[in-house]
Parts: sequence; C-alpha cells; structure tokens
Amino acid sequence: MTDMTSRERVLKLFAREPVDTMPCFSGQGMVTVPAIDSVGIPFPQIHLTAENMAESAIKSMEMFDFDAAVVPYDMCTIPEAFGLGVSIYENAEGILFPTIPKKWPSPDEVVIPEDYLERARMPVVDGAIKLLKEKIGTTHAIGTWILGPFTLAGQLVELDVLMKMAYKEKAKVEALLDKIVDLTIDLGRHYREIGADFVSLREMGTGADLISPKMFKKLIQPRLRKIFEAWDSPKILHICGSTDLIIELMNDCGAEVISVDHKNTLSESRSKIGNDILLFGDYDGFNLPSKASGEEIQEAIKKCIDSGVDAVWPGCDIWPDVKSENMQAINNAIKEFGRVSTPAVGRL
Amino acid sequence: MGKEELREELLKQLHEGVVEFEEDQVKEAAQRVLDEGLNVYDAVMNGLAAGMQEVGELYDQHEYFVPELLMAADALYVGLDILRPHIKMEDLGDKPKGQVVIGTVQGDVHDIGKNIIKMMFDVAGFTVHDLGRDVPLEKFVEEQLNTDSEIVALSAMMTTTMMGMEKVIKMIKEKNPNVAIMLGGAPVTSDTADLFGADGYAESAGNAVQEAIKMIGRLREMQAK
Repeated sequence: MTDMTSRERVLKLFAREPVDTMPCFSGQGMVTVPAIDSVGIPFPQIHLTAENMAESAIKSMEMFDFDAAVVPYDMCTIPEAFGLGVSIYENAEGILFPTIPKKWPSPDEVVIPEDYLERARMPVVDGAIKLLKEKIGTTHAIGTWILGPFTLAGQLVELDVLMKMAYKEKAKVEALLDKIVDLTIDLGRHYREIGADFVSLREMGTGADLISPKMFKKLIQPRLRKIFEAWDSPKILHICGSTDLIIELMNDCGAEVISVDHKNTLSESRSKIGNDILLFGDYDGFNLPSKASGEEIQEAIKKCIDSGVDAVWPGCDIWPDVKSENMQAINNAIKEFGRVSTPAVGRL
Repeated sequence: MGKEELREELLKQLHEGVVEFEEDQVKEAAQRVLDEGLNVYDAVMNGLAAGMQEVGELYDQHEYFVPELLMAADALYVGLDILRPHIKMEDLGDKPKGQVVIGTVQGDVHDIGKNIIKMMFDVAGFTVHDLGRDVPLEKFVEEQLNTDSEIVALSAMMTTTMMGMEKVIKMIKEKNPNVAIMLGGAPVTSDTADLFGADGYAESAGNAVQEAIKMIGRLREMQAK
C-alpha cells in the first residue's frame, strides 16, 4: 500500500486516475450500530443534531476503515423542510428510519418554500457536512446524496398517485419534476460548496420493476441529464432494483458513475456500457454485513470485482445493525481483491 | 342476443376494461351483469380476475409496469365494488377462501405492493383485514388473534424496514404456529424469508402479483372442474 490518503484514493478513483487499491465507501447511508453504540448515541438521535450525525458517520468510518464518511441517513430531510413533518420513532424498539407521515394529494399542490434550506433538519445536514470537513476533510472523502427528482416527488406525493398521473395528467407531474430538478441542481452545488467531495443522485423510484424503460426515457432521463450537465464532477447516478433493462439509458444521462444494486447483472451491464465509465456496485447491504459467513463475503466481493466494477459498494443503505467482523471482512476483502486494475481505473 | 352470448360479451368487456384501464367500460359491463341477472361470481372470476391475470402476464413480459398495474387495479375495483355485494354464498360453494391480515411493517410508508396483493386476495374471495402501512408490529399479532386469519401477509419496500418482519413472524408463531406467513417487498429474498421463518415469499411487488395471480388461476381452474 502507498501513502495515499483515503481522500486521495476516492478522488483519484472518481477522476479515473490510478490508485493503489479500491477504496471502501458508499454513496448511500453507511452508519453502523456498533459505531453508535460505542459513542452512546441512540439510533433516533443520529438524525437530529449535526454533532450526532457527524460523530456517528466518523465513528462508523473509523471503526471499519472506510475511506469516506457519508451523511445524512434518511430520506425525509427535504420533504420535512417543505412542511410535511417527520416520524422519528423515538420510542420504537430496534432500528426504524424516519418517514414522512403525510403527503400532498396531488403534484400541483406541492409548495416548495424559498427558505427550505433554513427549515427543519436541513441546517443539521449542513452542519454535519461542515463538521466532517473540519474533522476529517484532509484525510477522508466526504459524501452526501440527494434523491432523484421522481423519487423525491414520491416522498411529496403518494407514489401510486404520481405513477398514475404520469400517465393520465403528465403535465402536472412534469411541472413538479421540473421544480425539483432546479432545486436539486442548487442543493447539489450547495453541498459541494460547504464541503462534500461527492454527491450521489439516488433515483431509486425509477427502476424497471416500477416504471417502463419508455417512461424512464421520456420522463426521467431528460431531467437527470439537466442535473448532471449543471453539476461539477464527480457525477454519480444510483438506481437500485431492476436496472438491466435501463442500464444503457442510465449510461446516457451524463453521469460519470453508474451505481446499481445486486439485482443488476453486472457483467452484462459492463459489456453494454463499455469501459469508458465508472461502474459501482453491488453487494447486498443487508445479508453480507449482517448474516453472511466469512467465505460468502470473500466470494461476493470477488464476484463483484470479477464482474467489472470499479468500486465495490453496497447497492443500498448498509443495514446499520452489522456484525463487526462481517463489516471489517467486507472492507478487507475489497482492499485485498481491489489491488488489480478495473475496467475504467488503473493501479499504481 | 342469447344469454350465453351476452355472458361472453360482458365477460369480454370486463376483461378488456381491466387490461386497458377503461373504468367506464368496466362500470357499464358490471351494471349490465346485475341488470341481466347473470352470475355475479362468474363475472368477477372470468371477467375481472381473468383480465387481471392477463395484466400479470403483460407485467411478466415487461409490457406493463407498476403504473399500468395500478390503473388496471383501479378499473378492477370499479367492477368489484359494483359486483361484490351481490355475490351469493352458494356461488362460492366450497371453493377455497379464507381470511388474511395484511399490512406494511412499522417504519415503511410504501404500500403499492401491499395494495396490489390486497386486491388479489379481494378478488379471490378472501376476507382481507388491511392494517394499512407503518403498522406497529404487535398490531399484526393482535389482528391475527382477533380474526383467526389463516394468512398474515407482510410487506416492506426497504432494507431498512424489513427487519421488523422477523420480529412479527416470531411473535405470531409463538402465539399460533399454524398461521401461514407470506413476505413481500423489494428487499426480501428467498434466503431472507427462510431466515426469518416465513412460509411464503415474493421477490417484489410484481412477483407477488404473479404469485397471487397464479393462486387465482388455480382457483379458476378448480372452478372449471
């Protein structure tokens, strides 16, 4: 191993410059229970203050030798800032992520407050990114994510209503998506300005197990293109679920990284999109860190690399209640098997 | 038009109305079934449910996706709401039916898959106890005990919520080991279902639809015998 810092490793990977080995990180949530237990922060509290969010991210990163820290952990920060409220489940047993308790009945009723960045937990996320920058910004990469326009729209209006209206009252859905696109462009730039090294766009409501490739092409793709044209590199598009049917469309959105989950047939995807783009994926973020044996972990990570990814990362949020030995074994395997060149990135 | 010819025509209208999301067509045909005194259960199973069976096949062939399923479901419910109050107990005879408790586990507010599966149980003649979404885990246990339902169907759309399923299964099986528990939702795999001790599993909303449609297909085959 060279003296390359974790941050350099991640940034060079994104720039498709040679690295010593594959970095261990994610574009989704990667907070872990062993980490938050060690610092005594209960799970519901990690979402509520900048200090808790940053500390839980740093501890999770340090405990398992991740090359990056990622915040936030839940999908409700923006809808909550729009005034929809949030359920935190403070007294529930076990791990429950925040949810939005009520939504607007129709896309044309959605109101986006001009000062949404000042509302609810948006300042908490800003504060956490700034704290990460201050505490680990020279050594480790800092990641964040934003839901893609259709997925975020599904947090504002019931997804079934949205899907049917995308057929029957398309103009109303398009108008909402366009508003969200503008917001996403600004928010992504804002997160980069305050310290994030990368912003992952998570458009998981648009896989082919939900909407047709035709709808993806007409309704989603032009809007993703607009966002990626406006954002600086690195430009990361993550879609989980069924992506085999839309992988070429994903490749034509202007992203520099395509991220998929374990339902994707990686080797076929790589041959469809070629070697001129970064492909990330796609271990099962629940089974591997929580349930798998050491042998299964080695096999799964090797399979990801053999199938042509440039970074092995989870296909969704890592289920927080990991077994420490599993999480460490995953990252050890990535570093060990990741010493060889990948389709889009060479090695030192 | 003879009675059999009329029956065929109305079944076709119900079937096509579901497949093509034509709610008005379904409404009109369902009302005519009642007006003409035709067998209501026949209209539900061989018109509406047969239409939904084709929708499932189109989904399987990647011709239809979830928005199309949802629109077909709306059309189906238009017909079902008109016809179901008029189904006679003797029409049902000894055909398989039962009770199911269904809901989305606490922490998960996504209910598309759950609602589609609920519809299939509705069509199949089950009594459905729908607990909604974001349901506290103990509520599933209480409802199963209160209704003595044979099936509990649990849905989760996110990895981050599916762990609740394991707890519910343990809680229910402790009280009543004979209950059949079905799991569904995008993050659930057959391994997970086995691990959690479930009796049945559907990989995703679409797959669950397929399973439910197969169930209805079997029901219709049994009827035809």
